[in-house]
This record gives sequence, structure tokens and C-alpha cells, in this order.
Amino acid sequence: MLPFALLIIFCAPIFIVLSSLFGEYSDNWIHLYNYVLADYVSSTFFLISGVSVLVFFIGTITAWIVTNYDFYGKSFFEWSLILPLSIPPYILAYTFTGLFDPFGDANNLIRSIFNLGSDVSIFPNVRNIYGAIVVFSFTLYPYVYLVSRSAFLNQSKSMKESARLLGLSEIGVFFRLSLPIIRPAAIGGMMLVIMETLSDFGAVDHFAIQTFTTGIFRTWQGMYDLQTAMQLASLLLLVVGLFFILERSSRNKAAFTSNDSSFRPENEIRLPSMKSFWAFLICFIPLFIGFILPITELIFWAFESESSFINKKFIQTSFNSVSLAIISGLVTAFLALIINFSIRFKPGAIIKRLSSLLSIGYAVPGLILAVGMVQLFIYIDNNFLDSTRIVLTGSIFGLLLAYIIKTYALANSSIESGYERITSSMDDSSKLLGSTGWGMLARVHLPLLKTSFLTATLLVMSEVVKELPATLILRPFNFETLAVSTYIYAAEERMFQAASPAIAIVLIGLIPIFFLSKMIRSSNKLG
Amino acid sequence: MAFMKKILYLLLISFLSEIIFADNVNVYTSRHYDSDDALYEEFTKETGIKVNIISGKGSALLERIKSEGINSPADIFFTVDAGNLWKVQKEGLFQSINSKKVLSSVPAELRGPNDEWTAVAKRARVIFYNPMKIRPSEIQDLTYEDLANEEWRNRIVIRSSSNMYNQSLVASLIANLGEEDTEIWAKGFVKNFARKPQGNDRSQIIAVSNGEADMAIANSYYIGIMLSGSAGKEQEEAAKRVKIHFPNQNDRGVHINISGAGILKSSPNPVNANLFLEFLLSKKVQKHMVDRSYEYPIVEGVLPSSEISSFGLNFKEDNTAVSQFGELNPKAIRLMDRSGWK
Repeated sequence: MLPFALLIIFCAPIFIVLSSLFGEYSDNWIHLYNYVLADYVSSTFFLISGVSVLVFFIGTITAWIVTNYDFYGKSFFEWSLILPLSIPPYILAYTFTGLFDPFGDANNLIRSIFNLGSDVSIFPNVRNIYGAIVVFSFTLYPYVYLVSRSAFLNQSKSMKESARLLGLSEIGVFFRLSLPIIRPAAIGGMMLVIMETLSDFGAVDHFAIQTFTTGIFRTWQGMYDLQTAMQLASLLLLVVGLFFILERSSRNKAAFTSNDSSFRPENEIRLPSMKSFWAFLICFIPLFIGFILPITELIFWAFESESSFINKKFIQTSFNSVSLAIISGLVTAFLALIINFSIRFKPGAIIKRLSSLLSIGYAVPGLILAVGMVQLFIYIDNNFLDSTRIVLTGSIFGLLLAYIIKTYALANSSIESGYERITSSMDDSSKLLGSTGWGMLARVHLPLLKTSFLTATLLVMSEVVKELPATLILRPFNFETLAVSTYIYAAEERMFQAASPAIAIVLIGLIPIFFLSKMIRSSNKLG
Repeated sequence: MAFMKKILYLLLISFLSEIIFADNVNVYTSRHYDSDDALYEEFTKETGIKVNIISGKGSALLERIKSEGINSPADIFFTVDAGNLWKVQKEGLFQSINSKKVLSSVPAELRGPNDEWTAVAKRARVIFYNPMKIRPSEIQDLTYEDLANEEWRNRIVIRSSSNMYNQSLVASLIANLGEEDTEIWAKGFVKNFARKPQGNDRSQIIAVSNGEADMAIANSYYIGIMLSGSAGKEQEEAAKRVKIHFPNQNDRGVHINISGAGILKSSPNPVNANLFLEFLLSKKVQKHMVDRSYEYPIVEGVLPSSEISSFGLNFKEDNTAVSQFGELNPKAIRLMDRSGWK
């Protein structure tokens, strides 16, 4: 009963957003339909398609190369390819314009090296939808890389050998055998990327692209029409829900799991020097664009800034970010664990639907979801806690709740795929040996799910450090996180001052990623 | 374990902070200026009243205040656009300000219709131009209305219509010219854009300085920030290459927007809130504020920062009541959509 009750509470903000669909429809709909909706839909569709294709190829190809071949830098790339996950898309967007605008640092540098006139710009304009596609793809591809890599590691070698014997080339094996097999896993990673792209406001707003999300905010903040904005957000949610169902059914049809415990470890193919160079380059480019480039620009900015950045406030702010990340990481992962455990023994029950709903909540623009959260918290405050004071809203506890709601999808996807690897015969054996109910969870499932649980915790942590909209609106008085500090400066485009907290976000984001990559390395030794 | 204890302690504080500090003023603000923090500290030093801050987007803060209802801890709503103040006023969430100090130092068109809120600082939305590209005879007497003329084809940069300052500017045109004429104007104006709207106000100024466009429309204070050098050498150099023109000097004057604040009806500390507003409008604080934010002061006898003063002080301001901007804002945004202003 407990997981069910928790899910109902956590889903409430999403229900509040969706309930707008049953409310009145204002005249603004006519205006939106006549003038802007088509633009919003087509640019959003273009953005999502571009990002999906790009992350799919970057994620799977780099994962394929590092799992199958031995080349110069391989062991470095294995873990460093997930580093871009520590860069929030909006920060990459700011550094991109800082570098590639006609008078950005990159253009200035090239001009000064080659002594060119100020009317020459080498790099293309990034403030457009193509720039946005690059920004989202190169910060979010690690979601696809992570799942693809572990899927490739689980692929049996004998299958690939047979394919080679039957005349497939190396590349043929990748496209015609390995890729189709890991497709369901890769698509799961892509769903996370799509949802995060849809919910983002900072990057698209900075590039001034009119997407569905910016449209939602224009309607709310410019036309003062929150109701219509929520209806727009609900439509977005319904479309994502549809995708979700399609993905589930494609996953069910394509169950390729290998239960063969005798599968042979992979022997990596040592690449000759020329091919080794190409492999290096293919892995280096995403790392360069998604991590090295923005970090270099941020450090450059930080040095330009006059104010010293390590002071009491900065330490307090970092402490806030770190402790919130750790607590919400553990709590969210644990929640996903008990919910998935419950689903396992009541398949098809309503709790499974709720869990999926909470997952797609990841696609709701953060500020809109935050409005739903405020309404939920105030309701709880007034009816269950203290009707004369506001307790939950603006408390750390409320903030933690918000993070759980926002990041559940990340934890759930990791725990869910972990559970898929535990066969039901193991459950039966443990029952025979006297472990039932929660005892089974603690003694059998948890040890088996250790890696998934940690991955879930770490993914949530890196997301919480970056989270902005809900933090802004739900935080206690005088409480700042690093993302808030960055935003306060970046909103004014005072990038020099924004650089230090932004670097700190990246550094703290690196902690969970360091552990993730350690797990990757150890899984490699086992695999 | 010490770490967990610290976290538990923090949790406890977050629940109890309101009780521990009895003398408070709670400010919900969408002004994110570093310099404001120093002001709040100064207020605490002078009065012993602690200033508690939540900053965020204006519209999101409004939703939080609305949801919190009579239990809201908010005393003051402080924001940077007249539209935001109007929204709160329209919801009936403000109480009337009755401090004589405030009412006597702020002109009526810079307050709410029933003194629900007051301006704290002003900014003008002006034309920045490249003197190498535009002759003095061309720029002299130029109005916002003139910017729709064909001679400016592909010469103007301005940011996106999602920006509230542009929405307020168009709202002020609707208030003065009527919706129909403003729409004709906007369609011509959009044709004159040198590039698709992008970036913030500052990148428009930089575009003019670099020769990407001949003129830009942006808020006055950005040039002060750039000239001060706090945003780096390059922006300082860029700012030196542009000039300011105040449009519509022969008729209604340049478009003015405000930073403003009001006291909420549910305010638990109304006395402190009043003191806080009076503090913001005292001469000393006004000077301190505009020296750092590069806005124009509200109170007479206070000069803007030297960077801003250098562009001239004797310009005519549009006296259109700023409360109209909020009211006309939804109309303005729909009009911009129809005109193809991205």
C-alpha cells in the first residue's frame, strides 16, 4: 500500500497540469492556432528528430568502438565519454555563443592568428535550431552511450563470430546484428534525451528559437494565461506518453536477452594505427564539443572575473547543492526500487501505470511542473499540516520532494532495466529458501541490483545539481544552490561571474560521474 | 555521521527559521542584481530587521503568492517590469501604500492606480546607433514610429518578442497610437530587422558596435554595465563605439519602464515592509542603487551613475501610465505574433 500512496502523491503535480485539459479553453487558442502553433510544432519536431538521430549515432557508435576495439586512448574514453553529462545544456548554449558569435572568443582567436579583418567570421551562426540540436545532442548523448555500452558488453561473442563466418564485414556486424539487438536499450536512453530536450527552457530561450516550450512560457508570462500554458504542456505530455507506449511495445516485441550464463568474454580487436586514429577521433569529438570546449571557455571567463569566487557564500552554496544531491539521489533510487519491486509481484496493476506517468513527468517544463508542485504542497499544508502557516512550501523537505518527482524517470529507467535481468526462477528459489516479501528485496534483489541502484543514485545526483526551475520557486528564504547562482548571473548575461558557480556545478557533477565511470571500468573487467 | 547531523540541522532550520528571527521582512523578488544584496544588508544594519529573499521569475513568484493565499509569508513583491506589478495588482493581492514619504517622492504615473505599488528605479528603452553609419541629420528627431520606414531596411537589431521589455514597448505604442496603427507599424518594423531576433539587449549593442547593424533598441542601463568594465575589456571597448538617441523628444518622450515594489495584503510584517519601501526610496539608497544598477533614480535630487549621466539627463520621458503596459501586454504579444516578430 505504501508505494501506491507515495506514487499518488508524487504524481499529483502531473495530475494538476493534466487537469487543465478539462478546464475552459480561452480565446488565446484561436490566436495560437492561427499564428504560432504550427511553428512551435514543426520546430519542436525538427529539434527532437535531429537530437534523436544524433544522440543515437554518437551514443551507439562510441559505445561500440570502446567495447569492441583496442586503440590508443580506449581506457580513457571508456569513462570520459560520460563527462558531458555534467554540463547542463543551457551552460553549453551560453559557452557556444560566447565562442562562436561573430565576435566570440573562437572567432576572435582565429582572426588574430591569421590576421583577418573584423568582417570575417569563420564559424557558422549557432543561435538557431541547428545550434540547439548540437547543444542538446552533445550534452545528453551519454544517456544513450551508457545503456548501449552495457548492452554491447552483454552481447555474446559467438553470435558475432557466426555473423563474420557468414560473410558480414565488421561494419556489417555493427549495423545488421549488434545495433538491432541493442536497439530497445538505446531507444530507452533516447526517451530520456527527448524528455529532457522537451522540458528545457534555458538553451532554446538563449538561442531565441520558438519551440513548444518557449511557446508555453510566452503564453503564461506574456499573455498572462497560465491555463492555456498548462493545456499546451498537457498536450506535450500526451505526445510523450504516446511515444512511451510505442517504445514499451517495441521493447516487448524485441526481447533479445541472453540468459546464457556460459557466454564467453570478449576479446577486443587491436586496431592498426590508421584505424586506431579514426577510432580516437570519433570518440574525441563528442568529448571535445560536449566537455572540453565549454570547460575551457568557463575557466577563461572565471579568470576574467574580478571577484574571487571562493568565499563563505560560495562554500555554503556548494554545500547546499551537494547535500541536496546526495539525499535526493539515495531517496529517489530507493523509491524506484520499492516501486519496481511492487510492480514485479503485481504485474499489470495500476501502480505500474502510475510509475510510467511519473516517468513521463520528466518531459514537463520544469517551471510548469513547479507550479503544480506549489499547488500540491499548499494543499497538503492547509489540510494536513498547519492551516495557519506555510510549512512545506519553501522548506528543504519540499525541495527534496520536488527533486524526487522531477528525477524519478532517471532512477526508474535504471532500476527497471536492472530488474529485467533478474529471472523469475531466482524469485522462486529464494521463496523456497524462505526469503519472501521485503526480505527477498533486501537479501536477494538488492545485492543483485547494486549496480543499478548506484547508477540510479548517481544519475539523479548529477541531475539535481543542475536543476533550476523548481529550485528557484520552491526554495526556502535566502537559500541558494549553484544552479541558482549561475542563473542569477547568466540571466543578466554576466558570464564572467556566472562562470565560477557553473564550473562548480560541473565539478560536483563530476563526483557521481567519477563513481559511474569507476563502475564502468570494473564492469569491463568482469564482462 | 557528523554530516548527517548537519543535514538534519539544516532541515530543522528550514522549518523553524521564521520563528527564530522575529523581526523580518520577506521579499519575493525577480531582480537578480548582486548589488541589491548589499542594500539588504545595509537595511538590516540600520533597522535590525532581517531581509529574507526568494528570487525567481516574476510570473512563477506570483503563482506561489496566489497559492499561498492568506498564509503567505511574503511581505514585498519586487520586480523589474511594470507588467509583473500590474498582474499582482489585478489579482487584488497588493494593499495600498500609505507611507507619506513614499507617496510624496514618487510621481503618480510611476505608482499603481490606487498606490498598490511604487516604482523604485527607472530605465529608458533607447536607440543605440553607430555614428560611423548614421548621420546626425538622420538620427535627430527620430521617433519609434519612424523605425518602420523603408530607409531603415535591414539596419535594425532588437531581441525576441518573448522579451518583456519589448512587450512593454509595444504596449506603450498601443496605448498611444491604437492597436491598428501599431500593427501596421510593427509589420514595417519587422521588415527592417538586420537579423532574426536573438540574444539579449547587450548582444544588440555589441552587434551595432561591430557593424552587424546600424542601430539597436535596448535598455539604457546595459551601456552603463558595459562601460564600467565589469563585463570585460571587449564590452567596454564595444560600448565606446556606440551613441545613444532618445526617441520621440518632440512629442511624448522616450519609453520608460520601471523596477517597482508593493506590499502584499497578506503581509505578516506590514510595518517592516513600509520601512523597507521608504528605505529603498531614501536618497542615500537611491544613489547607491543606481550607481550599481545603472538605472535612473526615482527621487529628485539624485543623479544617475556617471556613465549614464554622460549620455545626457535633460531628455523627455513618456508619461504614459506604466500600469497600462501590463494591461495591454497580452494584446501586444498577440500583435507581435501577427506581425511575424519572432
